[in-house]
Amino acid sequence: MHTPNKTPRKTLRFPVPVIDPIAGSRGPSAIRSLQSRTLLLAAPVIAILAWTVVYPNISVIVGSLADGARAWKEFFASPADREAVVSTLIVSVGSVIAATLIGVPLAFLLARFEFRGRRTLSAIATLPAALPPLVGVVAFMFLYGESGVVTRIVQHALGLERAPWSLTGLWAIVFVHAYTMYVYVFLFVSAGLERIDTTLDEAAEGLGASRAVRLRRVTLPLLTPSIGGAMLLVFMSALGSFSAPYVFGGGIRVLSTQIVASKLNGNLGLAYVETTVLALAAIVGLVVLRRFERRRSYAMSGKGRQTRVVVTSPLARALLPALAIATVAVLLLPHAMVVLVSFARDGAWTTQVLPPEYTLDNFRRMATDPALWVPIRNSVTMALIATAANVVVCFVAAYLIVLRRFPGRRLLELLVAIPWAIPATAIAIGLASTFNRNDPLTLRVLLVGTFWILPLAYFIRGIPLVATAVEGSLKQMDPSLEDAAHGLGGSWLMAVRRVILPAARPGLIAGALLAAVTAVGEFVASIVLYTHANRPIAVEILAQLRSLAFGTAAAYSVLLIGLVLTITLLARWTEGRMARSGSPVGA
Amino acid sequence: MIRPLALLSVALLLACGGDSGKNVLTVYSPHGKDLLQHYELAFERTDSTVDVQWVDMGSQEVLDRLRAEAANPQADVWFGAPAEIFERAAKEGLLEPHRPTWAASVPDEARDPQDLWYGTYLTPEVIAYNSDAVTDAEAPKDWDDVLDPKWRDRIIIRDPIASGTMRAIFGAIIARELARTGSTRAGYDWLLRLDANTKEYTLNPTILFQKLGRQEGAVTLYNMPDMAMLQVRTKMPVKWVVPTSGTPVLVEGIAIVKGARHPELAKRFYEFVTTSEALRAAANDFLRIPARTDVPADSLPAWIREAKETMKTMAVDRQLLADSLDVWMRYWDANIRNRGKRS
Repeated sequence: MHTPNKTPRKTLRFPVPVIDPIAGSRGPSAIRSLQSRTLLLAAPVIAILAWTVVYPNISVIVGSLADGARAWKEFFASPADREAVVSTLIVSVGSVIAATLIGVPLAFLLARFEFRGRRTLSAIATLPAALPPLVGVVAFMFLYGESGVVTRIVQHALGLERAPWSLTGLWAIVFVHAYTMYVYVFLFVSAGLERIDTTLDEAAEGLGASRAVRLRRVTLPLLTPSIGGAMLLVFMSALGSFSAPYVFGGGIRVLSTQIVASKLNGNLGLAYVETTVLALAAIVGLVVLRRFERRRSYAMSGKGRQTRVVVTSPLARALLPALAIATVAVLLLPHAMVVLVSFARDGAWTTQVLPPEYTLDNFRRMATDPALWVPIRNSVTMALIATAANVVVCFVAAYLIVLRRFPGRRLLELLVAIPWAIPATAIAIGLASTFNRNDPLTLRVLLVGTFWILPLAYFIRGIPLVATAVEGSLKQMDPSLEDAAHGLGGSWLMAVRRVILPAARPGLIAGALLAAVTAVGEFVASIVLYTHANRPIAVEILAQLRSLAFGTAAAYSVLLIGLVLTITLLARWTEGRMARSGSPVGA
Repeated sequence: MIRPLALLSVALLLACGGDSGKNVLTVYSPHGKDLLQHYELAFERTDSTVDVQWVDMGSQEVLDRLRAEAANPQADVWFGAPAEIFERAAKEGLLEPHRPTWAASVPDEARDPQDLWYGTYLTPEVIAYNSDAVTDAEAPKDWDDVLDPKWRDRIIIRDPIASGTMRAIFGAIIARELARTGSTRAGYDWLLRLDANTKEYTLNPTILFQKLGRQEGAVTLYNMPDMAMLQVRTKMPVKWVVPTSGTPVLVEGIAIVKGARHPELAKRFYEFVTTSEALRAAANDFLRIPARTDVPADSLPAWIREAKETMKTMAVDRQLLADSLDVWMRYWDANIRNRGKRS
């Protein structure tokens, strides 16, 4: 018999309105039609994902064995590769810890407490995501690098002979990751908190539970899917991260930069082996975390009701706004730095704390460059196409994963999570080696050198972002709601429109926003796959960096940040409109 | 849901509107936006039906791209890379032969015997330093001087895996020691001592120049045209010396990509950027030393004449480099990088 949810659900210690799924409330024919519809939906989604996500990676694995086991032997004999594996793991675990330590408390603070400065802080808390990876890393170098502004201020303040620290090594990478990746944790936990009914907490309080017990027994268990999902994303991004090790990587090797080095060295076999190892490590991490996540699953019915505690203690009233201001400053510094450099005259800034000469030339040069609008148009177009495809495919995938039971569900779950694990460079190499010719027999289509190769790469990178976010939202919906809709005689389409879509909406919008923002500033896959006709804005920034026009590159970055902010505001506005015209069930 | 769909269709219209119907000539080159844009506009002025599209990337990356695209070549012309890299590409069958009209005006070491590539510019390698941090008197004068312990943690260089320039310098050092001692051991030891003095390997030139300009490092090894460009364009306090015992002079080349979609157009562009006038413009505006020997010396800027007179060229066996450099660099990456300070 079909049971809507096989996962044993723990009962909370406190009264929670969990509606037990009523098995057998539907006739056998209804179940059969739902089941066949599930398979009908699952088949094309699995096919698309297998073709775009798995197939290129199989090419990579096949490539690693092209020369027998030679490349594998070389990999295991190389001390450099051993070093790279260890560093990669240290960086990934460190990044997860750092991002969680920042993201979770911040989300709690903003969701649960009312204090002066809360609105400002929550408005800019996601700004680090608006800093494209390459730009962010370079901004960090100018801020905290050995000759950076903050470093020199500290050096002068303490009267030191030399810089107090240097931004190199593993901790520098973790530092940058903490800044950029805590946003995932923050967004996911905030979305999770939004769905939790705070009356539950109040009920627990009424029953005499202390604050600590409430946190441990009520809030955290409900948040586990969100926190777990976010930690997973951070782990995968850190594992495949390229820009930070690329810029600070003079002294360290991680697998993603090692892949590029091997490829540049003309040792494609070794690059394929390193890619395979990295992907396998990521998939192991993925499976472990998924299992952990599955162990705990609770459901809320209805939309969460929110109340914020107004901070009353005088000490907290004084401290919280100060803390908020300090956090805002730290979060904004890299953006401010990029803006500052965009007005600095190239080459004039040497040993001073701040650039000594300012000019409008960088923006003037940018405005008079006839090619200026082409990369911007390209990036926006490609990001829109990729995100639109993500929304459709990932909504269906997440719906199937969370609310349906069918053979191949685990497979689908793995398929949507794989692309984040696999570094962008490897995705790009896989695509380049798979879609480089027309060959219907092996399902190859010529995409390399065409416009469509980058939207495809962006689409693949966006899959886990959108799918995980939608899954997070859907998991907090009680599965019996869909059954209830069917039981009340609603058609399947109506159930999707009136029940599932509203429940998925917060995740759908958060995920689409992240995917669009990632795509518009994407650098690592782009640099491998772009052609002149579709060159995106990050490649244009790199071209400026290459031609020593640091100020112009910063000016382009300012433009890119503006673009990302526009997307964010657009998404929020859409969300607001949709919420206002919302459906009865979601309201 | 209607709104995103509308946005998407507008985007699709925009995306499809880019085809101008012109003959598109694709050029892969590491020569940088300024130089490339100059030639793009100049060439398009000679023929309004042509649209030159250049893709700017490191020379090792061009080779990497051509390998990946071998089944479906995207580029027509490969403009710029050290001869060693062109020789690898020639060996792998990635280039199409073309004999330019001026073939007789370059020395033998600046051309391929099968006409697969020809030299355009000469690029001497130099030792450069921040002249605010290092006086001319204390600056290193020759390669071996940079091994002096006084430079410990004061040298910053490009990551040699990605940089054609650094590969050329490392290759020349190992080849020199190999010729002297008959083994690569001495060359590796030399690089290990350099590693001990090296504070950082930067992954792109811009970061190197920034760090040198801002005194995170005092000394670097790089090529002369880029350092001259840095001096002229940014007024950074950099100076350089040509190593007294001799320096490897890279020959930068040009080639037509095998399977180019527009071979005739590619040949015209090839000729266009290598005329005597074009080379003069490159020398004056982009600080490139022409490889052709028939460009009148008095039409070239003074620093080029001076460099040509004072510079001693280090003879390098290019065949040896083409065969061994990848192996040496792999050994360096696995066994020397970051190991110098431990020994």
